[in-house]
Amino acid sequence: MSASIKISNVTKHYGALTVLDDISLAIQPGEFVVFLGPSGCGKSTLLRMIAGLEDVSAGTISVGDARVDTLPPGQRGVAMVFQSYALYPHMTVAQNMSFGLENIKMPKEEIKRRVKAAAETLEIGHLLERKPQKLSGGQRQRVAIGRAIVKEPKAFLFDEPLSNLDAALRGRTRLELAQLHARLGSTMIFVTHDQVEAMTLADRIVIMHDRRIEQIGTPMEVYQKPATRFVASFIGSPAMNFLPVTAVQNNPGGLAVTTVGIGTLQTAIHPQAGFSPRGATLGIRAEDIVVLPQGQTGTPLKAEVIERLGDRSLVYGVLEDGTKLTVEVDGRSALVIGDSLHISFDPATLHLFDESGQAHRTGGD
Amino acid sequence: MAANNKTYKPDALTTNPTLLWIAGVLSVVMMAPVAWLVGLSIKNNQELMLGTDSVFRLPYTAVNYLNILQTSRVFGWFFNSLVVASGQTLGVLVLSSLAGYAFARLEFPFRRTLFVIVLFGLAVPEQAVIIARHQMFNWFGLHNTYLGLMLPGLSSAFGVFLMTQFFRAIPKEIDEAALLDNASQFRIFWKIMLPLTLPAQATLGIFTFLHGWNDYWWPLISATKKDMFTLTVGIASSQTNFAQSEGLGFLASQAVFASLPVLVVYLIFQRHIVTAVSGGAVK
Repeated sequence: MSASIKISNVTKHYGALTVLDDISLAIQPGEFVVFLGPSGCGKSTLLRMIAGLEDVSAGTISVGDARVDTLPPGQRGVAMVFQSYALYPHMTVAQNMSFGLENIKMPKEEIKRRVKAAAETLEIGHLLERKPQKLSGGQRQRVAIGRAIVKEPKAFLFDEPLSNLDAALRGRTRLELAQLHARLGSTMIFVTHDQVEAMTLADRIVIMHDRRIEQIGTPMEVYQKPATRFVASFIGSPAMNFLPVTAVQNNPGGLAVTTVGIGTLQTAIHPQAGFSPRGATLGIRAEDIVVLPQGQTGTPLKAEVIERLGDRSLVYGVLEDGTKLTVEVDGRSALVIGDSLHISFDPATLHLFDESGQAHRTGGD
Repeated sequence: MAANNKTYKPDALTTNPTLLWIAGVLSVVMMAPVAWLVGLSIKNNQELMLGTDSVFRLPYTAVNYLNILQTSRVFGWFFNSLVVASGQTLGVLVLSSLAGYAFARLEFPFRRTLFVIVLFGLAVPEQAVIIARHQMFNWFGLHNTYLGLMLPGLSSAFGVFLMTQFFRAIPKEIDEAALLDNASQFRIFWKIMLPLTLPAQATLGIFTFLHGWNDYWWPLISATKKDMFTLTVGIASSQTNFAQSEGLGFLASQAVFASLPVLVVYLIFQRHIVTAVSGGAVK
């Protein structure tokens, strides 16, 4: 069973402090949505408001057809997996999983059946009589998910559930979560500040910053067409290069932009009405910068630091006027620190942001 | 490696001869009065009147303990102490747990102010309120009743403080998980939170029982009839005069008898007491 979730004009205040400001969002049944943003952006608060652990100051939240923001947490039809798992330490795994079902007076046979089925799904059948302190981090995580599964909720809420796991286990659990979502087909909301988790798990990412939603889109949409400078800087590793714009000229093919460091570049961008070059920046991803073959001349860049990542290397370089730029090169490149390389730019991959940080896109986007 | 070394490092007390000697001397100083009391309890009065050093000489006798069985009212006082100390322990555990949970987890008006007022209770000496309390209990006719002996001990500011701090130390996500599991507030308290505070309950229970058992001041005021005496008051009343020229061994045997339950409580809950005294229980 999965349900849609609709958040309409939701605001959250703590006294005079506003932590969420007029948030609206519609999540489709069965969708895997990730709330992504830096610490303090309000993503966990929003999740907790859906769960009923925080009151809504203004606005409404609906799960399926029912408005739930006035209901207690246990009656909203959602299940949550906490960052710390929040297992009951004095209960066995089986008791942890069945506690919620006992509270709604479900027949014992049905409880037993559900616990057994969830334990089989998560491969924790052999752990049912153990207490949480006798489990590893990964096993506790599975139990926490199992506790959610047995309730057969309309939606699953995950609050940074992978952050307490080591890197290897995090990667494996990420994959298992994706498989679980495919198998259950349930609506899932996942909160994280890790963009890799967001990009790999999400059907859609909701990027939050400074109390607001910055952008909602598929992983590739937010990566390739960031709506704001914040999104462009937050998504992608290394972060996008930003160059201050000093002048623009409107050409038929798009805007010609003059920047500090590179000079004038022809872009495919047709800015919206009222665009002003004052305070604008040009954004270029490291992998979109074209490294020219030896003998060809472009903008010279001197390598200061080289990070070798195996399949690719990141060159942290400096232009002739001292402007810093990060460029991605092939992992097999023999480039060493101090070498110069010549680079050029593909007009279609350039991003333009105005003073307020709003993106101006290529024609039609 | 450092952590491992630390784990296997022998306790300094067991390897350092100086510390070992100091600990030994302190143990003798602490145990000597107890051993002497036991010695007194197994001597007859004539010998004790010759000098207390007779404790170290034969003969010894069980006559004082036989006298307890035959003539003393100590069993009645023992029963009174048991009822009062057990009642206070149960009451303090129930009230402190409920109050601690409320202060730690529930939202209600003047919560902080009320908690501060409770904490003030730690600073008010019993002697300061004893006249008013005596008058009040007199009005209600509570003197010379079990309820009258127990009631003052139930308002344990220390208990409320200890339980509040312990409940606060439990991660809030545990209650939130239970809320999402559709548990009522009472069910969260009863099935989730209370079992997690068992170490604190054990600590508080032991301290309350020992305090109730050893309390002398309030029973001395409230219990004026001999059959309502607690052990402490009863044994003190057996002392015939300051010099105690008679029944010294009998008095000592009653004191030993009175100490036995405390010893039993200590032996059963030794681990919890050590943890409580070392401060580990409230971590």
